[in-house]
Order: sequence, then C-alpha cells, then structure tokens
Amino acid sequence: MIEFDKVSFSYGTRKVLDDISFLIRKEERVAILGGSGEGKTTVLKLILGILRPDSGRILIEGEDITGKTEDELRETRMKFSIVFQEGALFDSLTVKENVAFCLREYTKLSEEEIDRKVRELLGTMGLEEAVEMMPEELSGGMHRRVAIARSLAAFEPKMFLYDEPTSGLDPINADMICRLILDLSKDGRGFIIVTHNVLDATKVANRFLFLKNGGTIFDGTQEELMHTPLPEIRTFLRGLRPSQLL
Amino acid sequence: MKIMRIKDVISDLQDFYILSSQGLLGVIRKPFYFKDTVEQMDYAGTGSLIIILLVSLFIGMALSLQLAAELSGLGFKMYIGRIVGISIIREIGPVMTALVYAGRVGSGVASELGSMVLGHQVDTLRVFGVDPIKKLVTPRLLSSLIMVPALTIIGDAASILGGYYIAVYVGLQSGAVYWSSIRDVFTYENIIVGASKPFVFGYLIACISCYTGLATKGGTLGLRRTTTKAVVVSFIMIIIADFLLTRILLYALGFSV
Repeated sequence: MIEFDKVSFSYGTRKVLDDISFLIRKEERVAILGGSGEGKTTVLKLILGILRPDSGRILIEGEDITGKTEDELRETRMKFSIVFQEGALFDSLTVKENVAFCLREYTKLSEEEIDRKVRELLGTMGLEEAVEMMPEELSGGMHRRVAIARSLAAFEPKMFLYDEPTSGLDPINADMICRLILDLSKDGRGFIIVTHNVLDATKVANRFLFLKNGGTIFDGTQEELMHTPLPEIRTFLRGLRPSQLL
Repeated sequence: MKIMRIKDVISDLQDFYILSSQGLLGVIRKPFYFKDTVEQMDYAGTGSLIIILLVSLFIGMALSLQLAAELSGLGFKMYIGRIVGISIIREIGPVMTALVYAGRVGSGVASELGSMVLGHQVDTLRVFGVDPIKKLVTPRLLSSLIMVPALTIIGDAASILGGYYIAVYVGLQSGAVYWSSIRDVFTYENIIVGASKPFVFGYLIACISCYTGLATKGGTLGLRRTTTKAVVVSFIMIIIADFLLTRILLYALGFSV
C-alpha cells in the first residue's frame, strides 16, 4: 500500500533520507525505529504529503503522490489516521470540540448526534469525564487518547500512523496506549508507529525498520531484531532487560 | 552561500505573496470560518480597546500641551484644535493605532500560529483536509481589516478629547473655538487620508504576523525569533507604508507638495 521508491529528503543542506526504498502493506504493523533526527517523523510526513521529497516516488495504493496538489492530497490523507507527537490537540478547543472537529467540518450531523458520537468515542478511550476539559488540563496519556479519538471521529482510515505515541508517558499510560493501538488494529487495519522506544515497539509491531544515516539499516521481524549483530541496534536494545530481549 | 541567501529571500517573498493573496481570497471562497473571525475580532478589537483609548488620550493631551506651550507665546492659541485635528486624523491616529495593534495583536498572532506549527496543529489541520490559510489566516486578516480602522476612529476620538481637555483647561482656550477648529478639519480630503491608511496597515500587520508565525522553525528559540520578527517587521513596514501612502494620497487629492 505504501511504497517508497528511492526517496531522498533534506532539511536545507542536511540530508535526512538518502535514496530510501521500502514497501509497507496496509495490514502490516510496522515500527520505524531510530535515533533523534534520523528522519522517522519525516517518513510519516512524506506519506501524508505534508513534506515533498527532493527525489524519488512515494506510492500510496499504487498512486504516485509526489506531484499532487493540496486539494488532490486530501483524498490520500483521508486513508490514514495520524496521531502526532504529544497529540497535537487544538489548544483553543475543548476535548469535545477537538473530537468533533472533523464531524463539524465534513458531516451534516446535528449537535445532538455529534455530542452522542463524541461521548461514545471518548467512552471507548475511557475519557468520559474529560469531555468539557481544555487540552492544558489533560495528562500526557489523556492527550494521546483524545488525539486517537479525534482521528477516528470522521474518517474510516485504512491505516494508522503514530508519531512517538508513548514518549514522555509513565509506564502505565504507555502500556495503555500500546493496548489501544493493538485494539484498533484488531480488525486487520495496520499501522506505522514511529518511536525510539524499542520496548513499546516490540509490544505492538511485528515488523521493524531501523533508520540510520539516511537509510534503512535493518528491516525484519522482532526475532531478527533481537538477534541482530548490528552495533547501532544493539546499543538501542541495551536498555531492555534480558527477558525482554527474547 | 550568497546565492543560497538570495534564493531564500526570493522564496520567502513568493511565499508571503501567496499567503497574503490566498488569505484575502479566502474571504470570498468557501468555506468561510465565521465563528473564528468573530473570535479574532473579539480578541483583537475588544482586547485592544482600553490600550488604544489610553495611548490615544495621552498622545492627544501631550500634543495639545506642546502646541499650547508653543502657540500661546505667539498668540496663535486658536490654532491648537486645527493642528491637533489634522495631526491626529491624518497621521498620528492611524500610525499609533497600527503600532499598538502590531505590538499587541500581531505578536500574539505570530506566537499563537508559531506554537501551532511547532505543536503539529497546523499539520493536523492539513491532514484533516482543512486549508490552514482559510482556517487561520483569513479570519485574522479580515479581523485586522475591520478592527484597525475601527480602533483608529475610536483612538482619534480619544486623542481629540484629550487635546480638548488640555487646550481648554490648561491652555485656557475657548471650547467652542476648539470644536469649531475640529469641525473644520473634518474635510473630505482629511477623512480619505485618515481612513485609507488603517486598512493598509491592518492588512500588512495580519499578513506579516501570520506569515512569520506559520514559518516558525526551531523550538522555543524559534518562537521567540518569530514574535520579535513579526513586531519589528510590522513596525518598519507601517512606517514605510505610511510615508508612501501619505505621498500618494496627498498627490492624488491635489495637495501642492
């Protein structure tokens, strides 16, 4: 479904991705790992057409999106649901208004119907009590859950994209988010999770890509990841307990 | 390196042109975000009212005081109202209101949009299929186009009242003479000059603040740079635009300068 074909991307003079190629099917559960500044979030932004590659092609369901205009990209973006780092909730709106954002923008539902749908979504996330809260009143975990609810409100995404969904969260909240991610893909919809937290990635993903120096230095299963001799990845794994390594 | 810099400047100018024209076109293109526009007008207009009133009142008083001191000795006290009126309506009122508005609203807009960029809220809008220019720029632009002229009129009135207080109670001039001079100043030419400037200033402030805000990069340090840049560039552009507009309008209205 998502194909990167020799994609390169730079921020000014700093090359982040260099002739990178990979294919991700829509039912796959992929974790993109790597250090800070290795281009993990950039990959997500390229998939959504928020950034445009310097060279190469990005194909979504066989369609090249690299030359598409903002209007043409709208349809492509609706195939995905993204949760940005720290949730990216709209500060000036309440939780209810955040979740209702797309419903108000794209549907002709009455206020009662919107209210019912929003409460239903927030209920599935365990956030009934947060309906009238402002984003600044929420904890980190609640932020991410509201963001997930919001991304589910209007569209029926074919795939989920998560940008560092557990960063900055305590282990309990991080675990809750991981379970939520798994629950949402129970119906066969895949996801791409971008993270530098290997433990969280191993809880949810079954394929791992490791970005380093603009390329993918590893692409394999959890088993292969845990036994890889690559020193860069071994350094990453060092933070895990031995029982978690196998 | 120099070529890169020139290319960056040209690219910035091109982006600024696109943003300012698309922002304006958003007023007539659907969807129009009415609620956002009203919220912006409330923040920009109602929120700035007290500051504009205070600044304008004291500027009118200071101007009148200076004139009273200078003109009393020459026996030309009766001209205080006329000079206060012309200076305020044509020049000081629009410029001072625009500077205060840029300092309060422009900086706020730039830092708000900058935070939204850094917090991926603008990216989220794009992913949701919402045009950030229509959603964020057009309401702020329209709000400035309405609020800067409205605040200028209110500010002018406050300055003239301040001038009256000083002229009458400190300069011991007749109130009737002051108001008669002010009435004489309300000519078609003066009103055209005074009323057209705020629209241009409002447009410039909104476009500059939105552009710098949406171009924010580099975390909190970048946000600080954005806010400073929005205010400094707005101030400079207001002063330059004021001179150019004065020149053009005076020529167009047949003043012999």
